[in-house]
Amino acid sequence: MTKRFAQVQNPLQIALLIGIIIQTMVMMVPLAYMLSTSFKAQNEVFLLPIRWIPAELLVENYTTPLEERPFLRWFFNSAFVATSSTILVVLTSALAGYSFAKFKYPGRDFLFWTILATMMIPLEAMIVPLFILVRDLGWLNTYQGLIIPAGGSAFGIFLMRQHMLAMPDELIEAARIDGASEVGIFWRIVLPVNQPALSALGIFAFMWNWNSFLYPLLVANRDEMRTLPIGLASFESAYSTNYPQLMAVSVLAILPVLLVFFVLQNKFIESMALTGVKG
Amino acid sequence: MANRTDRLSAQRISARTILQSRLFTYRTRQQVWGLLFALPAVTLFAVFAIYPIIQTFYISFFDYDLVNTPDYVGMGNYETIFDSPIFINSIRFTFVYAFGTYIPTLILALILALTLNARLPFRGFWRMMNFIPVVISWVVVSVVWKLMFHRNGLFNAGLDSLGLMTPDWLLSTNYAPFAIIIPSIWKELGFYMVIFLAGLQNIPNVYYEASKIDGASSLQSFRFITVPLLRPTIALAIVISLIEGLKVFIPPFVMTQGGPAGTTRVMALIIYQTAFANGRFGRASAMAVILFLIILSITLIQNRLYGTRRDIY
Repeated sequence: MTKRFAQVQNPLQIALLIGIIIQTMVMMVPLAYMLSTSFKAQNEVFLLPIRWIPAELLVENYTTPLEERPFLRWFFNSAFVATSSTILVVLTSALAGYSFAKFKYPGRDFLFWTILATMMIPLEAMIVPLFILVRDLGWLNTYQGLIIPAGGSAFGIFLMRQHMLAMPDELIEAARIDGASEVGIFWRIVLPVNQPALSALGIFAFMWNWNSFLYPLLVANRDEMRTLPIGLASFESAYSTNYPQLMAVSVLAILPVLLVFFVLQNKFIESMALTGVKG
Repeated sequence: MANRTDRLSAQRISARTILQSRLFTYRTRQQVWGLLFALPAVTLFAVFAIYPIIQTFYISFFDYDLVNTPDYVGMGNYETIFDSPIFINSIRFTFVYAFGTYIPTLILALILALTLNARLPFRGFWRMMNFIPVVISWVVVSVVWKLMFHRNGLFNAGLDSLGLMTPDWLLSTNYAPFAIIIPSIWKELGFYMVIFLAGLQNIPNVYYEASKIDGASSLQSFRFITVPLLRPTIALAIVISLIEGLKVFIPPFVMTQGGPAGTTRVMALIIYQTAFANGRFGRASAMAVILFLIILSITLIQNRLYGTRRDIY
């Protein structure tokens, strides 16, 4: 501790340190407000001066919403949908990236560039036909409807292709000469060799899917098929004045993500820096 | 003798044809495997990206409510939306939001990244704390800040204690845009901080060492090393953030539903409401085409200015 502060040598550094401490505290204010309000009684929320520590900690704010609304189901839906689509994204991206990097066939570059060009199409611009398509497939309010259309990522394919290009051909050729099947080569050589890029893509895709909002809003309108963000938004519009409960469910909603983040924080930040772009 | 040579060359020819045919089948097999590996992704993109965007254009020429048969109206939907001040306002506010959010975000993120790139105690901790809002979902951010901007919420409590006026942020046409923009800055700051930190760390240290030997001040090395070498990262950040800003949906959807009086109705929200609240799917598609064209042209301008994204990586 003293050693760390011994790094501080000149006045500029002291000023920067004070600045960063204040800035970080300001950044944390909304989260502190959320946590504090989540334990308050309703009539205590807007009391002035603000009581950061409520007179009485009301844990019911956490338990009552869980009893009244299917939050656990929404949580399960989010976890299941995000995990499944992440696996799909990683798998389809690795397969396509491998194909575009290491195989030669007519139309290959056309396919790659067409997929890459879809990065310029915002989801917001195709919600109408996408909704009609999913409805015509009979996939509204189904897990396949939530998962499969989210199973491809143009960015993921681009990222995986870049990494596969850097992989030496000899590795694959040697396995081929030893008589390995193409599927075996992909499964036992290509995937393990590219593991760091795959896990970065996985973290990125999971976060993207976990927080996904507009698409599940379109295709899941039945209560039991909602994902957590959609459920939370519906709870907000129905219980918009019960602020303590609203803040309590918000705390519950971010808790799992924050836990994963604190455990994997370096990987998280790395994958963000590596990927550099959001969906 | 002649017989033997003939036999030999015949053997050689057949060996070559076998080899060639093996080679041929090997190559065909490789082509088939390549296509097979690409097939899942190609199918997904054909069905869930290419087909819908073509359909968006197609539906935009029809009057369509999902129930009755579509009526072809030519450019009718486009004439309607461009005659409507509501849609024009929506385009305007979307740009106000994008610039209003991301110009401050990028400036603050750059300052933050430069600070946290310097030697400071607990540098990793400050970085981590500033990254927390990035992993929190937009819905939670919007729900929490809706309370912050409540008439009697924390924001006004703070303003009140300073003796400043306390507007009803979410219900005032003058202040509602700020109530949408400020939370967005709060949420996005950490993401761009990381992007800039990555850019700063990519600058080789030898440049700074060399300039030190040559007697450059730290201000000079900032001006002549950091700024030019960070330019590609800044350019990338400007483009991704602008596109991100034009696509915004959740904060206005949760905090204001586009109100008051449509002041915060961004393009994605007006498309959503026109389609799913008013049942005008053709008109919503025409709006979607406009949003698509705006984002497409920004991407193309960016490619012109900075080269493709691939160069920046």
